[in-house]
Amino acid sequence: MNDQHIPKLSPFGRWLEENRTPARRGLWRKVMFGLLGVLAVLNFIVPNHHPHFGADKYPGFWPVFGLLVGVVMVFFVKKIVQPLIKRPEDYYGDL
Amino acid sequence: MGISEMFIHPSLAFVIAAIILPFLPRAGWGQSLARALLLIPPAIAIYAAFTNPLGHHASFDWLGQTLTLGRVDEMSRIFVQVFAVMSLAGLVFSLHVEDRYQHVAAMFYVAGGLGCVLAGDFLTLFLFWEIMAIGSTFLVMLNRTRESVLAGFRYFLYHVLGGLLLLAGLVMRYKATGTLDFVWEDWLGRAGTPVYSWLILAGFCVNAAVVPLHAWLPDAYPRGTVTGSVFMCAFTTKTAVYVLMRGFQNWEILAVAGTVMAVYGVLYASMENNARRILSYHIVSQVGYMVAGIGLGTAMTVNGAAAHAYAHILYKGLLFMSVGAVLYAAGTAKLDELGGLAGRLPWVMVLYMVAALSISGLPVFNGFISKTMTIAGAAESHHYWIALGLEVAAVGTFISVGLKLPYFAFWGGRPLDLKRELKPIPANMYAGMAILAALCVAQGLYPEMLYKYLPVVMSEANHNLYDPWAAWNVLQACLLLGFAGLAFYVMRQVITPHKALNLDFDWFYRLLGRGVLALICRPIAWFDNIWTRVYQTIGLRFVNLFARLTVFFDRRLIDGVVDGTAYSVRGAGRLGALAQSGQLQQYLGLMVTLLVIILALVCYS
Repeated sequence: MNDQHIPKLSPFGRWLEENRTPARRGLWRKVMFGLLGVLAVLNFIVPNHHPHFGADKYPGFWPVFGLLVGVVMVFFVKKIVQPLIKRPEDYYGDL
Repeated sequence: MGISEMFIHPSLAFVIAAIILPFLPRAGWGQSLARALLLIPPAIAIYAAFTNPLGHHASFDWLGQTLTLGRVDEMSRIFVQVFAVMSLAGLVFSLHVEDRYQHVAAMFYVAGGLGCVLAGDFLTLFLFWEIMAIGSTFLVMLNRTRESVLAGFRYFLYHVLGGLLLLAGLVMRYKATGTLDFVWEDWLGRAGTPVYSWLILAGFCVNAAVVPLHAWLPDAYPRGTVTGSVFMCAFTTKTAVYVLMRGFQNWEILAVAGTVMAVYGVLYASMENNARRILSYHIVSQVGYMVAGIGLGTAMTVNGAAAHAYAHILYKGLLFMSVGAVLYAAGTAKLDELGGLAGRLPWVMVLYMVAALSISGLPVFNGFISKTMTIAGAAESHHYWIALGLEVAAVGTFISVGLKLPYFAFWGGRPLDLKRELKPIPANMYAGMAILAALCVAQGLYPEMLYKYLPVVMSEANHNLYDPWAAWNVLQACLLLGFAGLAFYVMRQVITPHKALNLDFDWFYRLLGRGVLALICRPIAWFDNIWTRVYQTIGLRFVNLFARLTVFFDRRLIDGVVDGTAYSVRGAGRLGALAQSGQLQQYLGLMVTLLVIILALVCYS
């Protein structure tokens, strides 16, 4: 490849790329899981004064809700719904 | 009347600019003036949004009805304001576009939206409603690909249908009630609700993309021009939200419909591959929150709907802008073809993320202060299933727009893409995005700047006080989204997008279209065939007969009576030769004319 065509990255862009090395990615993953841990702990400290649904008066309801709904939704949509309704891109002949 | 009390219709400047624009020279002062003309109308509109006094303005009598072009009250004011702000950001974003017809279409479209919001009666509303439909059709078609022209045509057909429902409804309503005033339909959709109310509701629901009338949206919006879709995502559905809020508050059917929309849009967005189509399905989903809020009709949920409409216009505009910027630079918006772009388009990524976190409702960003208000209002009015449905949609929103789209567009587990040719993104595009990003964050941090314009004053008496920044609210949002993020992390291999077309309700629309073709067009074509044959057979004989008669008439009568008619006959012959165009209609017309002349000759000679 011709050197002239290699695009130069801006400092910010370079910083973003530097954070993609495996070591840095591991670090970011730790930071993210750490944050989730902090949130989960906070859930037991900060009370919910106005539970509406019943089960949401227990700490841990919303984390479980978010995780469960997310996993089930993705699985339901990608593994069950999409195989049934997916067609070739030019199915209608519009392209 | 002082200057501060003057009513300025914000559509006016847009219409004037749109009419002048195509006639300006393409170089020198013409080009500079054209640029200025794009920015002056939004500036006037923003000024008008803040200074127009409350009340009915620009009213006039027409056929015994009072038509009102400018109804300014607490409800219309906030929509005019956000439309004006969005028009500015959108036009800044599209300053670089050379194709002036795109600007003309955008400006007529914006003018239509503003006109709808300010309309005090159904006739004015209908007029501006149709202007919007036409403007937006061109925003799709001016992308000038076969795909977008076809999509634009379908879009137009569908909106004409919606417009006709509205027209039928308003005419029947006028006949039944004798008024065109656009006010709340207090039937609430219960037994005894007249047909015209349902028709008007259906017309509005077409534009609000209420499932199952929504499929025009993900069909057309991904195929519009880069800048055109930015406008469209803001105005059509939100105008519909406004008219629903005006006319159909508290109709419980809308609460259910809205929740269905919120979840449905999210499900489709999770499987889509085209980034602009993902965002389109999220319009359906987010408008669902507003429709649900309107349907519940409490002081809090209506405010929530209005607040969410405002916030939604800002962040959805920004989403379409930043994905549009990727499309502009890379030439595709399909996620499976993108990836590894974070390093090369870092600021587009950041601006996209501001919008994505806003739509997800993360604290600091404006979705957090608007979406949660509707959900809290639903829960407080004991509509738990609706509140829960909206929470489910919030999880799906974060997964598909907040994580899936940026992950596969900017990273996608691929190395930095250095080979791809990226068209440089003009500065004005960044400027348009920066305006909206700044507003998204500002509203998130200072909810008051949005809340003070809400239609129902927030007070203890109205039971609609809401503090988004209460500790539990912040934590709940973080918990929900944080662990939804974990769900994405777990499922990231499953959610990887692939090229596919996912069947939606437009399959039925197309079936309907083909049915109409078979039922109406084929018989007409068949009849037309026969008619042509009959016409040729009988019509030609008639012409021949008439010619023979003329010859007879000429030889035996005129020649014998008048001298020198030979000359005139020769002249007429030449004229006749000219008239031999071969078109039967013309022969018939000529025959009639000749008959009259002959009759006159016979009578007066």
